[in-house]
Amino acid sequence: MHKYRSMISTINREIIPENWYNVIPDLPEPLPPPRDSKNDFSSINLLNRILPKEILKQEFTFRRYEKIPDEIMEQYEQIGRPTPLIRAKNLEKALDYKGKIFYKYEGATSTGSHKINTAIAQAYYAAEEGVNGVTTETGAGQWGSATALAASIYNLPAQIFMVSISFKQKPLRKTVMNLYRGNVVPSPSNLTEYGRKILRENPDHPGTLGIGISEAIEYALDHNYRYMVASVMNSAMTHQSVIGLETKKQLELLGEHADVLIGCVGGGSNFGGFTFPFLPDHPDTEIFATTADEVPKFSKGDYKYDLMDSAGVLPEMRMYSLGADFVPPTIYAGGLRYHGASPSLSLLINKGRIKSDEVNQDEVKEAIKTFANTQGIIAAPESGHAIATTLKYVKQHKDENKTVVVNVSGHGLLDLSIFGDSK
Amino acid sequence: MKNLIPYFTLGYPDNETLLKFLKNIPVKKINYIEFGFPSNDPRYDGPTIRASHKIGNENFDGTSYRKIFDYFHENNIKMYSLSYYSDIRPKFKEFIDYLKMLNFSGIIIPDLIIDYFAESTEIIEYLNNVKFEYIPFFSPATPDAIIKKISSMTDSWIYYGLQPSTGIDIPYEIDYTTERINSLIPGREITYGFGIKTENDIRQLMKNGGSGVAIGSYIEKMLEKGDENGFLEYIDRIRGVLDE
Ligand SMILES: Cc1ncc(COP(=O)(O)O)c(C=O)c1O
Repeated sequence: MHKYRSMISTINREIIPENWYNVIPDLPEPLPPPRDSKNDFSSINLLNRILPKEILKQEFTFRRYEKIPDEIMEQYEQIGRPTPLIRAKNLEKALDYKGKIFYKYEGATSTGSHKINTAIAQAYYAAEEGVNGVTTETGAGQWGSATALAASIYNLPAQIFMVSISFKQKPLRKTVMNLYRGNVVPSPSNLTEYGRKILRENPDHPGTLGIGISEAIEYALDHNYRYMVASVMNSAMTHQSVIGLETKKQLELLGEHADVLIGCVGGGSNFGGFTFPFLPDHPDTEIFATTADEVPKFSKGDYKYDLMDSAGVLPEMRMYSLGADFVPPTIYAGGLRYHGASPSLSLLINKGRIKSDEVNQDEVKEAIKTFANTQGIIAAPESGHAIATTLKYVKQHKDENKTVVVNVSGHGLLDLSIFGDSK
Repeated sequence: MKNLIPYFTLGYPDNETLLKFLKNIPVKKINYIEFGFPSNDPRYDGPTIRASHKIGNENFDGTSYRKIFDYFHENNIKMYSLSYYSDIRPKFKEFIDYLKMLNFSGIIIPDLIIDYFAESTEIIEYLNNVKFEYIPFFSPATPDAIIKKISSMTDSWIYYGLQPSTGIDIPYEIDYTTERINSLIPGREITYGFGIKTENDIRQLMKNGGSGVAIGSYIEKMLEKGDENGFLEYIDRIRGVLDE
């Protein structure tokens, strides 16, 4: 058991699970099904033309375990799985914490975040179907980068709609996506009817993820492309379970038990992927989902049926939502600006199994700094939210000797501008 | 005999056409029949049946159906109501009394365990007490533990929807579906519905232990066209497949 000290990394391919985990059959109550947003046509049927068949199956499956195809397994190794689980000893010391802090580091993948875990799977199934290409929206650019790389691996063209304000703020992200052979345009764009309509009304529209989704779907329908689902929907949540399944195995090898799990929530995919695999056999583990103060979906949003995209092309889902036309303030973490959250996560929050936390921008910045100057990792602003909750928790439970595990969903090396004005 | 359960939304496409169809149903070929009481918000139904509720709501007139309900009852065809709890909740007990007075045998409530889970135990116990069958409605999104718990509260047949809503077309895997449900609640009478695609699917469902099928959207389309012959042929054909 003591062969491993404080870090478990790529020594062992067996750490990558053979199956993804799907939480639906283990939920405490039935998951409300998606619902058509318009009366006279089936947006659920429309999914047949938007998503690869296999993804659609995974969307509605009750199968607890879904075998990871060998081809995807191979690519998981190529992009750096398993990712390390590291005990943050320097941080523990700096905080004078009696317990243990571990972090799972998804920033170690080739694209620098967890997003590649599902991008690989979706691009693989799309390529198997022989479609013309893939398309998606991106906020901060992490998802767009993952989509571009995954498409490049399977030789598919990728059309990416990047939220306009982020496109302007993060020019380096575009360079990354271009290096991965992705085509990127600011959204709203002139490539779709929906984008053109919005631009006519407001040529300087800053864009939202909801608009980007609507554009990508329209593009997919018009070009026989498939739409890549960044988060929220069940298939993406399932693919991300590699994070939690690896973490479980790594903790087991270290002889540790997770008392507390913490992650950040945009749509919920890194969070669900990290925490859901613990649900069946860790009934006493405390679980915290962190959002930004400025996007308070769990405290101020309603648990209701709402649109996933602004145009209302996709079915409605029952989820915590601030409204599909919610335009959030510009915050550091573009990836946390989404108005809703995955239905399965929403249900678990509603039932009280998962607790939520909100942190403000100053706390996030401080957390990223603390993490950087102790552990050396510069976390993504999104992940900074989870780290901020971790610091808060540890300070409040200083003498409790608990094992806290936080998911650091990505690195922030392309987001350094947020520190531009700090001394 | 395997169950063939045709579904009709009351009042659709109009009372006259529907009554004409109902009167000519070959009573030897079906044993259960399901009636949708028009809902203001049939949210777990697909576009075809949603549309039928809207029209049914305008037309439905309870007294027109008294004779046909008596006729089915006399011919030992069990009648079930499909009702949304959101509609009947304010007058739930009165509605159950009304259905009993009409000689209905039970009720399917698609939104009960989804949107009103906290009330479901009490509702099911009430129905058990007044000896009115509660037909559990499950789908791929129903968690394992819920399927077991809700099934154990009744001994009636189970309605399993293959799709997230009626009459739509998401890929499903029959063998996995039946394997799952058979292993969770072995020995129970399970009727499949919600978007069954082909006769071969019906064969496979029956081969894997299914007790019957419910058909809805397809019938609504024939009602809309007034295609009574098509309807009778369809019933014949499905009966044939079930009897193989
Ligand atoms: C690094 C990182 N973490 C978290 C998120 C939030 O998304 P999700 O909640 O789906 O994990 C994003 C989204 O862009 C991201 O880039």
